[in-house]
Amino acid sequence: MTAVESDKMTTNTSTLPHSRPALPRIVTDAMPVVVMAVGGLAAFWLFPNDLGLLTRILAAALFVMSLDMVLGYCGIATLGHAAMFGTGAYAAGIVAVNWVSDPLALLAVGGVAGGLIALATGALILHARGLTLLMLTIAVAQIVQEVANKARDWTGGSDGLSGIDPAPVLGLFRFDLYGRTSYLFALAVLIVGFLVARRIVRSPCGLACRGVREEPLRIAALGGSPRRYLVSMYAVAGVFAGIAGALTAITSGIVGLDSVGFSWSAEAMIMLVLGGTGRLYGAVIGTVAFMAIHHILASTDPFHWMLFIGLFLMGIVLFLPGGIASLSARVLPLVKGGR
Amino acid sequence: METVFGIAVDGVAYGMILFIISVGLSVTLGLMRVVNLAHGAFAMAAGYVASYAAQTMGLPYGLALVAAVLLTVVATLPLEKLLYRRIYGSANELRQVLLTIGLTFVIVAGINYLFGPTLKRIPLPEMLTGTLDLGPKSIPTHRAFVIGMGAATILALWWLLERTSFGIRLRAAVDDPAMAAALGIRTERLYMATFALGTGLAAMGGVLGAELLPLEPYYAIRYIVLFLAVVAVGGAGSIFGSAAAALTLGVVDTAGKYLIPNFGEFFFYAALILILFRWPHGFFQGRAA
Amino acid sequence: MSGTLRGALMGAVFTIALGTGTAWAGTIKVGVIAPFSGPFATVGKTFKEGIEVYQAQHGKTVGGDTVEFIFKDLDQANPAQSKALAQELVVKEKVGYLAGFFFTPDALAVAPLIDEANIPCVIFNAATSAITEKSPRYVRTSFTLWQNTVPLAQYVAKQGVTKVATAVSDYGPGIDGETAFKKTFEAEGGRVVDSIRMPLKSTDFAPFMQRIKDSGAQAIYAFLPAGPTTLAFAKAFSDTGLKAQGVKFYGPGDITQEPDLPALGDAAAGIISTFNYSQVHDSDLNRAFVAKHKELFGSSDTVTFTSVGAYDGAHVIYKMIEATGGKSDGLKAVEAVKGMTWESPRGPLKIDPDSRHVTQTIYLRVTEPKDGKLQNTEIAAFPNQPDYGFKVGK
Repeated sequence: MTAVESDKMTTNTSTLPHSRPALPRIVTDAMPVVVMAVGGLAAFWLFPNDLGLLTRILAAALFVMSLDMVLGYCGIATLGHAAMFGTGAYAAGIVAVNWVSDPLALLAVGGVAGGLIALATGALILHARGLTLLMLTIAVAQIVQEVANKARDWTGGSDGLSGIDPAPVLGLFRFDLYGRTSYLFALAVLIVGFLVARRIVRSPCGLACRGVREEPLRIAALGGSPRRYLVSMYAVAGVFAGIAGALTAITSGIVGLDSVGFSWSAEAMIMLVLGGTGRLYGAVIGTVAFMAIHHILASTDPFHWMLFIGLFLMGIVLFLPGGIASLSARVLPLVKGGR
Repeated sequence: METVFGIAVDGVAYGMILFIISVGLSVTLGLMRVVNLAHGAFAMAAGYVASYAAQTMGLPYGLALVAAVLLTVVATLPLEKLLYRRIYGSANELRQVLLTIGLTFVIVAGINYLFGPTLKRIPLPEMLTGTLDLGPKSIPTHRAFVIGMGAATILALWWLLERTSFGIRLRAAVDDPAMAAALGIRTERLYMATFALGTGLAAMGGVLGAELLPLEPYYAIRYIVLFLAVVAVGGAGSIFGSAAAALTLGVVDTAGKYLIPNFGEFFFYAALILILFRWPHGFFQGRAA
Repeated sequence: MSGTLRGALMGAVFTIALGTGTAWAGTIKVGVIAPFSGPFATVGKTFKEGIEVYQAQHGKTVGGDTVEFIFKDLDQANPAQSKALAQELVVKEKVGYLAGFFFTPDALAVAPLIDEANIPCVIFNAATSAITEKSPRYVRTSFTLWQNTVPLAQYVAKQGVTKVATAVSDYGPGIDGETAFKKTFEAEGGRVVDSIRMPLKSTDFAPFMQRIKDSGAQAIYAFLPAGPTTLAFAKAFSDTGLKAQGVKFYGPGDITQEPDLPALGDAAAGIISTFNYSQVHDSDLNRAFVAKHKELFGSSDTVTFTSVGAYDGAHVIYKMIEATGGKSDGLKAVEAVKGMTWESPRGPLKIDPDSRHVTQTIYLRVTEPKDGKLQNTEIAAFPNQPDYGFKVGK
């Protein structure tokens, strides 16, 4: 089964509730949010000593979600998404070191920066397709990384940008040693981000992007400009990636060149496809699975990790093309059928 | 003038190494429409085999090269049958990327397990060490040898694809697989042979290029972007395109590093963007040979 | 009630998953963050071996407390991950000391954390001078680019070399090296005829060699991160005929680190470097160190600067534990080792009270074949070299 087919299957399952009143839309809509909130708080309660790692996972999940808006909904294969993440992180970091330290303002700064760079580069490269597009995204990210490396006075170059000391959230909650504030802040940002992202992909523009992906000719025939839709969605995803970058900068207090690196882009793509594309919450599932397994395996022997993730990836591609999130879509009908 | 000559010679030498490794990727991408990110891993594995054969078993360089190419082809053929066959075709791009990244990780872990994380080398024979004098500029003999091998590869591939019945059937299968099958061409076998060809070229490039791209387990990940760049610029499936792309990128990279070393990286990627902007399908739009 | 439930849940589900820090009375934990995987995996390995050799020679207890080292993998420069790991070590494993750190950004990332938790951080490698300025709780047992480069530049000037080209990788340590060399060499009356900063991802070095050739330099000062790039650089240097033309190759000793020598082969022969440690350093302590390493791990081929960085780092941590009587007090522990002097396998060491960096002997070495393999033979020594880069700024 191809990726396209698997996505069509997803579309089908999400329209199922209309024909089957058993699960009204409001329930299916609320479910991911409830699961995220409850799961997030449960993790907070169960792993009070691992909040540093968990916070990183949440910020990464937001980043992967933004990649899903590009890859899953528009079909743009990119290996340069870290350009937006890194730009957002550096923008927020530089502003925090020099001028403003309010966390919410920093998130906004990161979002604007990520959105602008996505808009500028998206307009430049989105005419291409396939391998050419893939190379262009890589090249853009490499140039952004080089700029960050060269602008040592602002970014710290390869030493990293340190000394980011954000003010308390809403002036009330200080960022503490145990990372409690960081974690809850990141969780709130992720959930709000998810809700907003879902509104966007269901908006006319989001649906048009899906259409562009599946039937570009038809969109053109209807009088829409496929490229304009793609560029707007790319820019919107850039805003989310930038916010994710800013969130990482705020919660970790430092930004390094790795945040614009090729491997970060590639990892995000792996996490997304592990979880499943084109449904936003798949990004969250994939990120949690990937980073948690990485944490466990890498602490025993890192090369086991590479072997394992390699086999795991191959297994997913061969046997579960829709990603982990498609498991429920595959299993649920069986369960219901049995009832 | 001397500077221009120097840049040209160094650039061509570097480009030829890129060409030998990348052309195999271009062949499989152009013919089977598979983005094989494990290509670099195959090149690396061959390099390790050659290193083992030459250093531990004491085989001469030429034999080590042949052994590495053959072994790599034989070892990867089952992968074609088990994995790659399921993902041929351009509709599967994303799955191809992930499956081959997964395969790359497995190979990296395996190589590290077998040979350890330190650098490995393939000792050169006496006649390939030293430098060759070209008037105002001298280049390493090994590089001259690689340039020669690259040129020979271009000719051999051209002959294979344009002048043999294998080439004719192959091009027919690429243009219209269904029709080719109806005419009695056994596409499965054809694909297998092409895959072997691509891997063999990767293996050869891995061994010949080891002087420039040193062997270590992360080789497979470190240089894949470079190889992809050559294929994207050249146009998938085009041998002359790959050669032109590799030489162009080699010269651009060399010129950038020589003239403005502090911004060498900018120069390379900016050139890449400009080229892809002008020729979005590569120099020679994807067609066999 | 809730506590029991929570404990049971945690125990049942996640003991296996995340591992537990079994803390018992009288154990002092030291968290070591370093690359154990990826392109720099050998670094983590040498850190670990250095510590284990130290513990084998000096025991695992200090004043009745057992010292336990906990290792965390950080495969590449990734400051956000570094901070998350350090946080985990502090709040979950309850470590009293942090140590390790190969890359500068990873070390810098933990500054706010060690200050808030009042924990000393002993750096085994990360060599940018500015690190120890960022927190009073940093102590460093490695070297800095300035420390190695200043005596080298003075030596080069004394050899009658007047024109040098510098070629460094375009990142923090490379730029440190370039600045240190230029400043010292020009103060000695020499001239730097070309300063080349090479992109970190360079694979083909021929164009840089052409540039060096065209600059008419009599010698080069080069610094690149150890590993494949150094190999390609050294090869290009000899392949393009620069070596044959008599251009001298100088650099800090990172580029001829022992684990890379077999792969570097003949290309490395003749490189003159300055460094704080060579595996073949001539002293009883070093012979004992290398012998113990061989006894424990079967081979001593990879013993190198990171091994002694960790070995001496372990020594500093032991002394800190001794001084604080096992109680965790970062500032007091750091205070106790300021000005401390001791004899290490690499020679006499002293923790400078101001920079909290080791003042040490820097050796001039030449890389040459001996008994069928390459080694870094020490040919001169410059005693009592401080970190010249401390508070120089950028």
